[in-house]
Amino acid sequence: MAQTVLFGPSEEQVLEQEARRHVAVLPWGKLLEMIDPVYNWGRRNSIWPLQFGLACCAIEMICTAASRFDIARFGAELFRASPRQADLMIVSGTVTKKMVPMIVRLYNQMPEPRYVISMGACASGGGPFKEGYNVVSGIDKFLPVDVYIPGCPPTPQALLHGLMTLQKKIDGQKITAAPWYGPAVTPELPVPGLGPDLIDFRQSDRIRELCAKPDGFPKPEVLPKWIPAPAVPADSGVRLVEAGQLLETARALRSRAERPLDYLANLTCTDYEDCFEVVYHLDSIGRPGKPEAIKVRVKKAGPELPSVVPIWPGADFQEREVWDLYGVRFTGHPNLKRILMWEGFEGHPMRKDYLEPYYEGPAKIFPSRWKEGKRTRVEERNPLGRNVRYPAGFDPTRWVPQGESFQPVTGASLQKLKTDTLVVNLGPQHPSTHGVFRMRVVVDGERVAALEPVMGYMHRNHEKIGERNTWLMNFPYTDRLDYLCSMGNNFGYAIAVEKLLGVKVPERAEYLRVIMAELTRVLNHFWAIGFLLNDLGAFFTPALYAIKERELILDLFEMVSGSRMMCNYMRFGGVAADLPAEAPALLASLIRDRLPRAVDGIDRFLSGNEILMRRCQGVGVLPREAAAAFSAAGPVLRASGIAHDVRRAEPYSIYDRFQFDIPTAEEGDVYARYRVRIAEMRESLKILRQAIAELPGGEVIAGKKLWNIRVPAGDAYGRVENPKGELGFYVVSDGTDHPYRYHVRAPSFINLTALGLMCQGELVADVVAILGSIDIVLGETDR
Amino acid sequence: MRLYGLELLRGLTITLGHFIASYTVGIRRRFSRAPAGDPIAAQRREGIFTVQYPEEQKPIPERFRVLPVLIFDGKEGERWSENTERCTACGICAKVCPPQCIWIEQAKSAEGKPVPKAGNFYIDADVCMNCGLCAEFCPFDAIKMDHNFELSVTERTNTNLFDINRLHVSTEYYARTHPVAWGEEQARKEAEAQRRAAAKKATP
Repeated sequence: MAQTVLFGPSEEQVLEQEARRHVAVLPWGKLLEMIDPVYNWGRRNSIWPLQFGLACCAIEMICTAASRFDIARFGAELFRASPRQADLMIVSGTVTKKMVPMIVRLYNQMPEPRYVISMGACASGGGPFKEGYNVVSGIDKFLPVDVYIPGCPPTPQALLHGLMTLQKKIDGQKITAAPWYGPAVTPELPVPGLGPDLIDFRQSDRIRELCAKPDGFPKPEVLPKWIPAPAVPADSGVRLVEAGQLLETARALRSRAERPLDYLANLTCTDYEDCFEVVYHLDSIGRPGKPEAIKVRVKKAGPELPSVVPIWPGADFQEREVWDLYGVRFTGHPNLKRILMWEGFEGHPMRKDYLEPYYEGPAKIFPSRWKEGKRTRVEERNPLGRNVRYPAGFDPTRWVPQGESFQPVTGASLQKLKTDTLVVNLGPQHPSTHGVFRMRVVVDGERVAALEPVMGYMHRNHEKIGERNTWLMNFPYTDRLDYLCSMGNNFGYAIAVEKLLGVKVPERAEYLRVIMAELTRVLNHFWAIGFLLNDLGAFFTPALYAIKERELILDLFEMVSGSRMMCNYMRFGGVAADLPAEAPALLASLIRDRLPRAVDGIDRFLSGNEILMRRCQGVGVLPREAAAAFSAAGPVLRASGIAHDVRRAEPYSIYDRFQFDIPTAEEGDVYARYRVRIAEMRESLKILRQAIAELPGGEVIAGKKLWNIRVPAGDAYGRVENPKGELGFYVVSDGTDHPYRYHVRAPSFINLTALGLMCQGELVADVVAILGSIDIVLGETDR
Repeated sequence: MRLYGLELLRGLTITLGHFIASYTVGIRRRFSRAPAGDPIAAQRREGIFTVQYPEEQKPIPERFRVLPVLIFDGKEGERWSENTERCTACGICAKVCPPQCIWIEQAKSAEGKPVPKAGNFYIDADVCMNCGLCAEFCPFDAIKMDHNFELSVTERTNTNLFDINRLHVSTEYYARTHPVAWGEEQARKEAEAQRRAAAKKATP
């Protein structure tokens, strides 16, 4: 000490002084603060989202990743198919009860730090489907959510805004406070169970308590009413058959000489006061025309009918749907089990006396909304705060999960080498299944011995909600069926209801409808071809170019209707609005120049491509007879050599005025379906050129627009040729302002009936291509 | 059929072609004599296709719809009041709303009598399906579809249930976002006023 005083600073002190002069010395805490910006900068610019989509919003998410909006600019383009490699889960779309266990499991598999964006109204709070019996009112009931994006659907730019909000949140995080470096292990979230209703095990005690009380769940005040089954007039052409005579009549009609009814277009059921009425709409492949209807009435207690699957195999899924939703048992059906809901679900939800947990009244308009509209979220009326209800005496702690029943029908051994068969699950979360679709595949080596489609993961109760809606309210809901083709869906619904209304649509509106429907076909086929290539392994490049063309058509839709995807453009007796001033120029330039060039480009580059041909030719063959028998529709049917197209079979709107061909192919394989789609785009452009040349002026809607329109009593089956096939709407009116029965004949759903047949004996890798060539959209498959 | 991998090269040439075009389209456009209003060129649909959001935005067409807003007669930045609000609480929007996400509480006078004004008005943004039927059927031009899509939030329970204060925007704002519809509305009102004036003159 003394030395220092005498001889100045020591060597050490000199060094320290020097160091202080030239090197910044900071306390440890300060240093960490400086690390935070770097740490967060790195993390915020390299968010890897999970490749995971649920519903309509997922389409906008894909568009965000495509070249127009290019999520790569935010460093978030690496969509990972495995949750183990992902940081961000974008919950894009309606979360259903059937799907939520899978979502929680995926979340549990993601490593920390992990984030959740809830994209769209449905994911945030249930959205327009909130009242449905299979819909979860908000993913935040199950997962911690970081960012909510309102919108239905949010546009790609809105998603990017959500991503930026998340980046801001990441910027605010501190490395020292980050829980994922702490000693505590994040506990896994309990995976909900699928019992009589969705079970969240965190609420077990409360559920048991409520189920023990007789008035645990609130009782509704006003119950829905049935109407008695109406008389079938003799001149309506509808055959009312006794249940005992059904098979006999069906066989006779199928094999009769003049106009054999060999194509089952639609099968559905209506719940009346005194009976269940099952209706079959039949068409003829050789002599197509107006569909003929058979109606069978069965008693309300223990309803039973003979299955028509041996006569029309296409009835398979449709009969299962009727069993699932109405509880009508079909004897002799090879595999009668629930299809949209899960086995063990309590009740048959489409019956009029089935009331959802969020049931408010028999029909909209709900009186609680107006005059004394006290804001209440519907959750507040349920003691659990959830969209659930359980039978009396139910105890979740004693509930035993039921295994899924699955008896695969396997053929002879497909391999020379002796191998064991193995059951493989593809989906419902799988990058190749075009949504939340699942296939249970029995593989024998690399070959598929049997395949069973499993669906319902996006069943959002479209028909149940549709029967409560007023007639007009259903328009925006039809947008969300096949959300790539909302214009076509609007068209189909308008056609069906206009049959009952008997309105005359003005000329200009007819042309606008056709223009929009044909543009929809073009954009849908672009999308389908792009994603078929994706499924073949040409990952995203062809899809990018296809999406680019689709974007241009979406620009037009946005200009005309106000939304890229959910157009809600058509009304009874016309369309909602005329073209805006800037639309005709864009329309003409798209139709005359840009789109034909794009179609030619795709055709030139892809059709002769050796890789495409080798992967697609001779794969997934659907023979001509099978295509008709399985009620396949649209390009799937036409690629098997049957020139059946509703625009020709039963011309609707003004399709009888245009010159166009029905492209077909004979081979029935994946390549044939691809070729048919290319040719159909050309035919659509041909129709479009004629339509814009002849587009007349004048009114776009007949009469005054009515919001509370009443539809005369009766039933009607209206159908249109949507890009995916015959889209039919079966509506029954009791003369009031809302439909008594509202059923959608969904081509995506019925085309899947033949999937098992197409895939038998093919390689596992080809299953993906075959599914891609059918071109399904889950919004329509599950409804 | 033999695979020589030529198709692979052909595929790569397509990508290369698009890459080169992203430069040449700009140059070509600069020297082209195409009319300025060419819709393809105007909206940059060739060459570089990417919209550099957030620095720039995709052009928003007038009919674009996200969430509904209520309109009051006034300037931007002003607050709505009972005298300027257009809503009369007739309830048509709440009745036509497909997912029933609108709640309207009718205002009451000091004596407790209902008056044609909205006392409160709620829209649940987590239920709204952006369909635009409320705006289409409103007889008083009081509810319109807004263009604002930058609505992301980190909390929803209190934020996403919009109340009357959050919902109200001025006519000035609406006239700016919807110039065509605003012009039509003004013309319609003028014609109506003239018709009334003429009717008044005819029956003194």
